[in-house]
Amino acid sequence: MAENKIIVKIKEPALTAISYLIPVVVAGGLLLAVGNIFGGKNITNFTGTIGVWDAFSTAGSLILGLLPVVVSTGVSFAIADKPGIAPGFLVGLISNMIKAGFLGGLIGGYVAGWFTILIVKTIKVPNWAQGLMPTLIIPFLSSILSAAVMFYILGAPIAEGQRMLTRYLTQLPSSQKFFYGAIIGILASVDYGGAINKTVFAFVLAMQAEGVNEPITVLILASMVTPFGFTFAYFLEKLFHKKIYTQTEVNTLKTAFPMGLCEITEGSLPIVLNDLWRSIVSTACGGAIGGGLSMLWGADSKIPASGLFAVPTMSRPVQFLIALLIGSLVTGIVFFLLKRPVSVESEKKEEKDVDLGDISIG
Amino acid sequence: MKIVGITACSAGIAHTYIAKEKIEQAAKDCGDIVHIETQGTIGTENALTPEEIKEADVVLLAVDVKITGRERFKGKKVVQISTDTAIQSPNKLIKKLHSALNVK
Repeated sequence: MAENKIIVKIKEPALTAISYLIPVVVAGGLLLAVGNIFGGKNITNFTGTIGVWDAFSTAGSLILGLLPVVVSTGVSFAIADKPGIAPGFLVGLISNMIKAGFLGGLIGGYVAGWFTILIVKTIKVPNWAQGLMPTLIIPFLSSILSAAVMFYILGAPIAEGQRMLTRYLTQLPSSQKFFYGAIIGILASVDYGGAINKTVFAFVLAMQAEGVNEPITVLILASMVTPFGFTFAYFLEKLFHKKIYTQTEVNTLKTAFPMGLCEITEGSLPIVLNDLWRSIVSTACGGAIGGGLSMLWGADSKIPASGLFAVPTMSRPVQFLIALLIGSLVTGIVFFLLKRPVSVESEKKEEKDVDLGDISIG
Repeated sequence: MKIVGITACSAGIAHTYIAKEKIEQAAKDCGDIVHIETQGTIGTENALTPEEIKEADVVLLAVDVKITGRERFKGKKVVQISTDTAIQSPNKLIKKLHSALNVK
């Protein structure tokens, strides 16, 4: 609330695009994972027939290859509404072509959206031409302008930046790998699938598009550490007879754990919100250690989501599972130690102040 | 006071619905009539009716992402916040609304 309008203007389109992106990523990731498990291959030259598992893998690869387009269209649509779709679609395709990848799609989406808004707001036509605005003038002009920016101005630097970052990350010395993994692990886990997590997701997904799979694997792990850790803390509760969960919270665990298997951390939220700071600290500890180890040991998911389903796609699945186990144990133990025993009467929590200075009438 | 609102978060599976519950609970505690529409990843649920919007004193949007149907609130008092604000401080939020609109 304290954040000003400009930040919201930048953040909202990205979050909106990611909200459209997630189902696409999950669909593509799962199809590819299932196909690969059963030996399917990505078929690029179709000859008239296709085996079932090849169909799975190919469908998944097709979807994942178009992620820059999905994100650019999403961003542009969020900024400029329906007129933003055509130029947004185009910049995503260009981004794919010039190898500016996911990052290019993200930035290109803003370019397309803002150009569209600019055109809608500034160009005035006589009445007889009103009908031509949405059908001809806006799509044509906004596409030309955003395509030009992508081809001649922004595209090359983004692609170069992407390449440099990729080279840098693939050549990290192992001492720094743990450090980077820990940072990603913390950022990806501490807000439980909220805005920080989604921002990190955009970046590690961009890395994966360049063939660097370790960072996104850390994110997968970090999303699972909390539900697993909290569940482990429940067993500690039984073992040491220190009651840390209310009955409602135990029931929450019963859905949080299976959701955690599929990398959905949000199932833990009701428990988190009852004790925000202790939860965040324990999640961050587990996310840091699990993420650091996963990165250090080179666990590499070939697909961008879907939790344990991603494990068979890794070339080092055992390392991933051990890192996940250690991270979850750390979260569980820290949480168990920090948590005060629950009393029957839960204290009324002090709420943060809210600022409603800018009530707009519109 | 009569409140209508929309909640929507980036993943659209958790924060959206928690924010709805928190706002509803806090508003009911203050004796308000409240209708909250959710725009999660599953789509729009519990859609606001035109009558509800017409009668409302204020529109409360707890949203992190672009929502659909914003034009329904033309001419109404609209307050926009993040879902986090609604989840962390629902009671203070509703009280602020009351004082800002001079409603007891």
